[in-house]
Amino acid sequence: MIGIYLCDDDRAVRRRIQEALERKIFVEDWDMEVVCSADSPGPLLEALAERGPRRGVYFLDVELQDGDWDGFRLGQEIRRLDPHGTLVYITAYGELACRTFQYHLEAFDYIVKDPEGLEEAVCRCLEAVHARFQVERRDPEEVLTLREGDRVRHIPLKEILFFETAPAPHHVLLHTAGSRVDFVGSLSELEKRLGERFLRVHRAYLAAVDKIESVDLKGGRLLVGGRTCLLSRAGRTALKKRAGAGC
Amino acid sequence: MDLLLTLLWTIVDSLIGHGYLLTYLFAILDERPGRKRLGRILPPLAASSLVNAVVILVSYLTIPDLLVLRSSLSSAAVLAMCTAWVRWAWRVNLRQAFAAVCMAGVFQVALSALLQAFYNLYSYLLGAAAAFLTAELLWRLRFGRSFRLLLEEGEGLGRLCLLLFGLEASMEALSVLRWGVQTAYVPAYSILTVVLTVLMTALVLHLARQVESGRLLQAQQDVIAQQKLYERDLEAIEREVRSFRHDYKNLAAGLAGQVSAGESEALHRALASLDANFDRRLGEKIRSAAQIGNVRVPQVRSLLLTKLTDMEAQGVSCRLEVLYPVEAVGMDVWDFVRCLGVLLDNAAEAAKETAEPWVEIILLAQGGTLSLRVANAWSGAGDPGRFWEEGFSTKGPGRGLGLGGYQRILAGWPNAVSSAGWEDGTFCQELTISEVRP
Repeated sequence: MIGIYLCDDDRAVRRRIQEALERKIFVEDWDMEVVCSADSPGPLLEALAERGPRRGVYFLDVELQDGDWDGFRLGQEIRRLDPHGTLVYITAYGELACRTFQYHLEAFDYIVKDPEGLEEAVCRCLEAVHARFQVERRDPEEVLTLREGDRVRHIPLKEILFFETAPAPHHVLLHTAGSRVDFVGSLSELEKRLGERFLRVHRAYLAAVDKIESVDLKGGRLLVGGRTCLLSRAGRTALKKRAGAGC
Repeated sequence: MDLLLTLLWTIVDSLIGHGYLLTYLFAILDERPGRKRLGRILPPLAASSLVNAVVILVSYLTIPDLLVLRSSLSSAAVLAMCTAWVRWAWRVNLRQAFAAVCMAGVFQVALSALLQAFYNLYSYLLGAAAAFLTAELLWRLRFGRSFRLLLEEGEGLGRLCLLLFGLEASMEALSVLRWGVQTAYVPAYSILTVVLTVLMTALVLHLARQVESGRLLQAQQDVIAQQKLYERDLEAIEREVRSFRHDYKNLAAGLAGQVSAGESEALHRALASLDANFDRRLGEKIRSAAQIGNVRVPQVRSLLLTKLTDMEAQGVSCRLEVLYPVEAVGMDVWDFVRCLGVLLDNAAEAAKETAEPWVEIILLAQGGTLSLRVANAWSGAGDPGRFWEEGFSTKGPGRGLGLGGYQRILAGWPNAVSSAGWEDGTFCQELTISEVRP
């Protein structure tokens, strides 16, 4: 069962959301339940700690103010406790919804406290959350998790083309078809952690085996997802061995 | 045979001199020697050593008596050649390259002059040690950082070149004098050389400090000037609030009428429209005014205000989010401003190529980490995988600092990581700096 948590200091809004959620879950007969409905972060975090590390869905007020807590910090704490949880923010200011929440907390969606369409928006959002769970259950994705300060980033392994040592010491660059991510780490450690799928083709390159498009043995280069990597002599031997084993 | 040996010896000597010069160049340009840069530099460096050796030898054979002319010739040749390859290797402009070579020349000539006291094999070892130690000392003094600030001066650069050339020339003259100094006076001569070098270093550092405080002042003045725009926003907000108050009274009166008439549906609608109206008219202004107010570092604030105003004027719609106050940037503030400048310029350029240009800036300072995200509308042109190559620009070579320069700045800050992503018509650049202490 997936637990749903609710935190908003406006009691009326909270009750409306809770009722909408419960009705929707009942009608659709989904395996979900509102396990906590709180007016401040304290009780919510307690309930979360009690339930243990299970994936939850969280409906949080953006404009929450409670001592040191606000909507962002609460989201951050929930992320820490439940890295794969789904965060949905409730805001009073439609257009003003913070992109900061989207990028730093991977907030899933926003619901505007619109007196008219609140219930409908809640139902639509829950549908999307449920649909995503279904997809993920069918096709669980292997991801590489990177930490940048407080922020966690999940990169699907199947999207990674190759890793490369960055100009700055102890930094590694990760390349996908649509991004280039810098992080602190080492190729040797990644090589160990990621296993067979990636091959050390050069001192400074770790490439995804199934993404290698062509190999230029003479020039000591190979093309991975349209980008050029260097190929060392040791890398050549490893590549040949792998190709031999594959046949 | 003799001639060949002399040539060989001169080449070695010249190579070593160039080696010193290179060591100082790295310190002056605020860069740790890296394999990539060295690989690029070594061939032209060897060539310029060779040419220098030939110039020395030919002038020795043709005009053996004119010592001053000979050394001037060789110095001028070295200066010209080094300026050329520094310009090429570091991708700086002519005056910047010349200024850097003159500055490095001061140190190198001073070192050579001092070393002439021991003219044997040990002097090379001693020289190498001294060059590394003094370069390290310059590094510790953060001389490179100061010098870079000077190099960024647009108009003053010509004067700086002249000044540095003067310093370099006088150091050269001093080194020529060494041949006429009697043994008894060598210690005095050495002290004079050391003191002069230290004074010249101090002079350059002092100039840089002047420039920096001038720039800070300018940034603060810019902020004050921009603050006026911000004030205008606040005034607009106030006007809106006043007119809203007026509307509100009318609306409230109308609502009261509806309540007594028992029209709850209409009442509901009127309340909703009141709410939406308030959001649309005031919300955005209040929000954007609060965001810029959270940037507490004057240099960063000044740049943001300038760039945002420029972009809006060019029809790029901008959005800035600063959730928590930014009190520090975790790296040299000018370096951060340079990085932010590059990212914003690139974003604006790319956005302008699309039908609906927009740029979005998110700054988040939290828990000792500062994170910057610049996103823009992107037409999908070009191969983003190539953007980071040194000197690459979609507008042709030699434009701006570029992402290569951006990477170079960040290489000096191990607590900074930068990432980028391009998907669905959006290009975004992220810079995360840890260990940020106010």
